[in-house]
Amino acid sequence: MIRTLFLIGAFLFLGFSKICSAQEGFSAQEVIAKSRLAFFYAANDMRVKISMELINQNGHKRVRELTMLRKDYEDGGEQKYFMYFHKPADVKDTTFMVYKYPDKDDDRWLFIPAIDLVKRIAANDKFSSFVGSDFTYEDVSGRKPEEDTHHLLRKEVLNDNNCFVIESIPRGKAEYTKRISWMDENNFLPLKEEFYDKQNELYRQFEAQEVKEINGIMTITKRVMRNLKTGHRTEVVFQEVEYNSGITDDIFSERYLRKAPMEWVK
Amino acid sequence: MGKVNLDTKLIISAVAMAVTASQPIFAAMPDMHGFAEFDYGAKVSDDNTKRDDFNLFEQRLQLKTNYFFEGENYLAEKRASVHFKGDFTVDEYFSGKTDFELREFNLSLTPYNNLDVKLGRQVLTWGTGDYLFVNDLFPKDYVSFFSGRDDEYLKKPSDALKMSFFPSLANVDFVISRFESNTIAEGDRLSFFDSFQGGIAGTNSDRDLLEPPSRASNLEYALRIYQSLESHELAFYYFRGFDKNPNSYKDETARQLFYPRLDVYGGSLRGPVMNGIGNVEFGYDNSREDSEGNNRLIENSKVKILSGYEKDLGNDFKVGLQYLYEQKLDYDDYKVNLLPADFVFDELRHLLTQRITKLFKNQTVNVSLFNFYSPSDKDGYVRPTVSYHITDQWKSTLGANLPWGEEDMTEFGQMKRNKNVYIRVRYSF
Repeated sequence: MIRTLFLIGAFLFLGFSKICSAQEGFSAQEVIAKSRLAFFYAANDMRVKISMELINQNGHKRVRELTMLRKDYEDGGEQKYFMYFHKPADVKDTTFMVYKYPDKDDDRWLFIPAIDLVKRIAANDKFSSFVGSDFTYEDVSGRKPEEDTHHLLRKEVLNDNNCFVIESIPRGKAEYTKRISWMDENNFLPLKEEFYDKQNELYRQFEAQEVKEINGIMTITKRVMRNLKTGHRTEVVFQEVEYNSGITDDIFSERYLRKAPMEWVK
Repeated sequence: MGKVNLDTKLIISAVAMAVTASQPIFAAMPDMHGFAEFDYGAKVSDDNTKRDDFNLFEQRLQLKTNYFFEGENYLAEKRASVHFKGDFTVDEYFSGKTDFELREFNLSLTPYNNLDVKLGRQVLTWGTGDYLFVNDLFPKDYVSFFSGRDDEYLKKPSDALKMSFFPSLANVDFVISRFESNTIAEGDRLSFFDSFQGGIAGTNSDRDLLEPPSRASNLEYALRIYQSLESHELAFYYFRGFDKNPNSYKDETARQLFYPRLDVYGGSLRGPVMNGIGNVEFGYDNSREDSEGNNRLIENSKVKILSGYEKDLGNDFKVGLQYLYEQKLDYDDYKVNLLPADFVFDELRHLLTQRITKLFKNQTVNVSLFNFYSPSDKDGYVRPTVSYHITDQWKSTLGANLPWGEEDMTEFGQMKRNKNVYIRVRYSF
């Protein structure tokens, strides 16, 4: 009996360590690359209604509500985004379009309906805030794994999820000097990220607060980014998430920038 | 504009008829949005206009709504929608005059997969300039611009039919519209250079501006053909209509000015360059009623070349620069035909602009400085603004309009007595 238990135990241990070694088989670089695909390139296209609450240290809230369409042309490569703003009232009906390229600056267009103006937006501002939130453009559109050197610091359980804890140090100019990410071992989604500044102080913190399976794809549906220096935070909720609904290429054009495709964005 | 005139009524009836003809079922009242605003602009220079202490003092209520057709009918199938936007104003400058300005009322639909149509009152914009227009001949309101209203009001609406074709080769916009002049200073609110008065004039100005009569032969046509070349956008433009500014004389003794026929041919290219966005645009204005340039009463043909560059320097700090070159053609013919008492306008104009924008406090504070400077005209126009989104609903804007110039007859020099400092407070809903 004891022997049987021992054998089972040994089997389980061996099996477990085999799984572990398989996971350990991923280099930190690979984990980051897989995480980028899971987080920014899930499925071939995505439609989502995004609600953002921008909350300052006194608890005053501002709300941004938008529908985002995303289409991927290559995993880890070119993508197109279309955004239609519902709120606040003074930017309602404004649309924003981004062509994202792996190796050069994005192309961005903004349409301001009140003056019927399609404006081209200079796009080398990846560290600027996205619509006044605590997320930068880079936070919402991704960063290439090669732009940092990555080290697996440890493995850790975070809210019952086994995670790789990875330290990333930028090779070139970056918004942070060090980033530490907790990546879910099962689906590679970032469950937590810490951003450190030049003084090596933690100043921004990302946290995934709700993860749901949608059309078989694990999706972070609630997230928060806190600026620990200013006390400002941004809470984001993803609603009505749809994957692979066949968003056509022509949506990402000046035609639809000027005349938002209501069947997709309403 | 600014009055519910006969044309406005026609537009309203046309769109209303198109809407009711399809017998749609209005499921529910569509959402109403807009804003209420208070504007005050204190005058900081003296002139001879209607009021000495301010040139902007008004309250404004803007209402807008969109209706998207639903159900099983032609309009729903063709993804039709109706857009309405109108401003109610109380203008203290004219002793509390109330007004209603219909800014948009149009029916938009997609009758075929590669054709969009928009019929009715609409705001139209194209081209690549920032406050400078080479191929955008749609009407502007420079009184709003110089008196401190929101940028939205620089663009006047047009009563138009816009057809947008999307064949695979290139995209084509074709607009047929009723003539609408630019709104320019006329001496009541803003002073300006009036050649009949021999200098900067205010309420003493008594010119008569003759618009082309509303008839089919006076419709205007505007065409844009555009295509993307990877990250760059190439466009060609053609306009056939009238000069939007009354710079030509019909009858000097009766002090009558008019808007002569004008054709404009042009092109533009815009795209990423040196980590920013660059643009070039050119236009050739053919003054059809004086194409030889030898009629001293009518504006000569012109060439305009615009180039611009905008760069984001990070940390919500942006800089934009533009250079505009304008040349009056057949200048020798123009000069030879002038009479001794005529004012002589220059052949060339060089204009530089610069825009600096910096955002603070999670992009709730916007500090911006726009500068026009013409070394040839020795004039300029400084437009600083600071705006603060106090909440998502409340926004307050403080700004100034500071045109200056050595001479009285240049574009900005003539506006130099209209300097103001203004405040706008807006509640959006």
